[in-house]
Amino acid sequence: MSSRETILARLRQNRPQGPALPDIHAVPFITFENKFDAFATLVRNLGGDAVQLQPGETVQDIVAQRWPQHGRVADLTATTPEQVTAPHDWHDVDIAIVPGELAVAESAAVWVSHSGNSQRALYFLTQKLVLVVPKDAIVDTMRDAYTRVSIREHGFGAFISGSSRTADIEQSLVMGAHGAMAALVIFV
Amino acid sequence: MKNDNINHAEAAAAFLQDREQARWHDSAIWWVRQKRDMQAKQLPEWEQLRSLAQQIKAHTLSKLDEYLEQFQRNAEQNGVTVHWASDADEHNRIVHGILAAGGVKKLVKSKSMLTEECGLNPYLEQRGIAVIDTDLGERIVQLRHEPPSHIVMPAIHLKKEQISELFHKELGTEAGNNDPTYLTHAARANLREHFLTADAGLTGVNFAIAETGGVVVCTNEGNADLGTALPPIHIASMGLEKIIPKQEHLGVFTRLLARSAIGSPITTYTSHFQQARPGGQMHIVIVDNGRSDILGNDDFYQSLRCIRCGACMNTCPVYRRSTGHSYSYIIPGPIGSTLGPSRDIKKHGSMAFACTTCGSCSNVCPVKINLHEQLILQRKRAFDAGTLKPAKKMGLLAMRFLTQHPSLLDAGGKLMRKVVPIVPQALTRHSAWSRPGRELPDMPAQSFKEMWQARKENKS
Amino acid sequence: MNVALFIPCFVNELYPHVAMATAELLEGYGIDVVYPLEQSCCGQPLSNNGDSQGACDAARRFTGVFKDYDYIVSPSGSCTSHVKHHYGWYIADDADYQAMQPRVYEIVEFLQDVLKVDRLPKPVYFPHPVSIHQSCHGLRELGHAAPSELMIPYHSRLERILQLVDGVDVRLPERRDECCGFGGTFSVDEPEVSVAMGEDRVAQHEATGAEFIVGADPSCLMHMGGIIRHKCRPIRPLHIVEILTGRGGAA
Repeated sequence: MSSRETILARLRQNRPQGPALPDIHAVPFITFENKFDAFATLVRNLGGDAVQLQPGETVQDIVAQRWPQHGRVADLTATTPEQVTAPHDWHDVDIAIVPGELAVAESAAVWVSHSGNSQRALYFLTQKLVLVVPKDAIVDTMRDAYTRVSIREHGFGAFISGSSRTADIEQSLVMGAHGAMAALVIFV
Repeated sequence: MKNDNINHAEAAAAFLQDREQARWHDSAIWWVRQKRDMQAKQLPEWEQLRSLAQQIKAHTLSKLDEYLEQFQRNAEQNGVTVHWASDADEHNRIVHGILAAGGVKKLVKSKSMLTEECGLNPYLEQRGIAVIDTDLGERIVQLRHEPPSHIVMPAIHLKKEQISELFHKELGTEAGNNDPTYLTHAARANLREHFLTADAGLTGVNFAIAETGGVVVCTNEGNADLGTALPPIHIASMGLEKIIPKQEHLGVFTRLLARSAIGSPITTYTSHFQQARPGGQMHIVIVDNGRSDILGNDDFYQSLRCIRCGACMNTCPVYRRSTGHSYSYIIPGPIGSTLGPSRDIKKHGSMAFACTTCGSCSNVCPVKINLHEQLILQRKRAFDAGTLKPAKKMGLLAMRFLTQHPSLLDAGGKLMRKVVPIVPQALTRHSAWSRPGRELPDMPAQSFKEMWQARKENKS
Repeated sequence: MNVALFIPCFVNELYPHVAMATAELLEGYGIDVVYPLEQSCCGQPLSNNGDSQGACDAARRFTGVFKDYDYIVSPSGSCTSHVKHHYGWYIADDADYQAMQPRVYEIVEFLQDVLKVDRLPKPVYFPHPVSIHQSCHGLRELGHAAPSELMIPYHSRLERILQLVDGVDVRLPERRDECCGFGGTFSVDEPEVSVAMGEDRVAQHEATGAEFIVGADPSCLMHMGGIIRHKCRPIRPLHIVEILTGRGGAA
């Protein structure tokens, strides 16, 4: 018998009693009066920032104002975004501008995913990550978020909340462990 | 790998020799418990959320075989290769097989307690594959050639001075520069090179979703993401209890995990891996290694609900004052003290006694495992397996006898009350009670029973 | 109504005045208090060390001794909790146990839930700052207070009953319900950890400025008392019934 069969047989034999699956939507979860404010307050504690695009302003204006001196920019929101042959080619990107599908107020997380699953290395290699999210695409909790996104759609997707961080040395919070050192969410 | 012969009481006593370091360890980890409280308090639904998580996991365990089969079908439809490993050795052989077939020289790993459990690193290193742990804490303990002392904060037993010294030696950082930001960014630069030159990446799994055949990995550092986005091969190793039925259930577990673990509303990255990237391969190794036996044990199967948040360690007053290195099993603290003894009571029996049964762990557990009760039940197995020290066993058998013969128990109590006051302090000072700095109480002239009888006679 | 006193074995030998205060407190409310002389250890040390045979025998013996009384009341949260919540591991099917189990109470629970007292038998004036020690089994297994881990409305039986005492100044230590480190045989199996925990706990109680540590479990008070004595500190452990009967100052 293969390991698969042996394991499954043992699991079948050792089944404990269990309850039916609960209805996770039956319990009221927290809601926020102003979701953007909740999101923005939180993301500022997580090594990030959030702004709303003002009339007449572009994403590129905000990025240029924030980081007037910068290196290579990769903009996946452009009409014809830059293509690379290997994911390693993104290694020296300074600022990545990527579309975010949905934001979550309770966790300051933004869902990123793209068709083809070919550019995800950029999200994590870039030094500064700019997430561009439609201003009405913001929900209260992760439960709401998982009813709105499809995790199987593109082969890979991630919720990203603030910048990469660690507290592995004496519990001191340090921004910029391996991924982006700064995160900016722009609601458009 | 960990030394199975560690006795918790002895190792903890040694750790407590440096009281200042021990106090630092206690308060650093207590702070994480406090952060967890602050997050939990912000959600009016916190206790209901724990109940939902408990029910989802309890349900899943009752149909684990079905959900795993469903998971495999869906994963294979996504083009993922699914492997099954009965034990640690088979897991290691499978992983090595994949790496050997891909000509892999260097593997970057993100945090996986399962691979610690299986002893994967030494297995691969012996076969000529360089293994780089990429979680900062894991990297620190890897460079020190020691096991992690905590499942979420692997290097919490170390002070920054020790890490600075290590990095100076291993990574060439400035001698005496103890700044955590400086040290973290030095490790970042060093590990970037490894990410860019690795041939394969291995991750653990936080959740595997039966409905989609995908896995979710949560990190704050982004190491699991870099380690899987750059090299062409991604291997995800998962204990078979990691399964949850549906995508929507992530809406419960991602709300609990980081709040319980580190007092953060969510991890920086919650990454959903469904398919290999174009031109790459993705493998999932489903590991049993004793879990199906635990499932069949009425007293302990609930421990398989664990989502490895580490909250039970952070709240455990014994863990905080003894470090993870005082526990013989690779997973320390309350959850380790039921999982370790479940695996091997003879090796890990002392862990079940490293507990005052205060019950705080059961209350912080996001999936409501009855941890402190499980530890008491593990002691039953330790007693039956004959792992208690002979003197302790004799004492218990004497107690068992006296409990059934109260007049003898009373006589013994009286003897104690009369003898203790006349014994020279030099003798009692070395008893386990008094040795670390604790006096005996006063010995009253009469027991309550004697007082009660005298009172009754006076009344009548 | 009769009440059988369940006096834990070590309280019988080492804290007879706590047992007597419990009896007098109940008598003060006009209760017919009985002390079954054939009682013995409840078996918790056996259970906590894995001796299931011994624990099972002890549970049966306890049930035989106490089953016919209206209520069974004890001044120890931990021993009460063992009888109420862990005997089920050994004698869940015993009909006598099933019938007795709901009638077993820790003393403060009994005063508040059964007698529903709103005054003390004799007025008590205790003009001292006291720091509350929540013992773990009373707290987390009997629900003596809202444990700090659970996000439920705050309540505390000890704080509530101390409202009946004049002049007392109630304080809570930092880490309001961390374990003192006694843990039964843990205290001698892991003495270094046990004492380290106790030292931290005593220091937190002292930091409130309290003169007394007040609790409902003599075992934790014994452990902290041993550390206090070793360090020659002025703070004193006190069982809640000692205050409620007006004997507190004597300690």
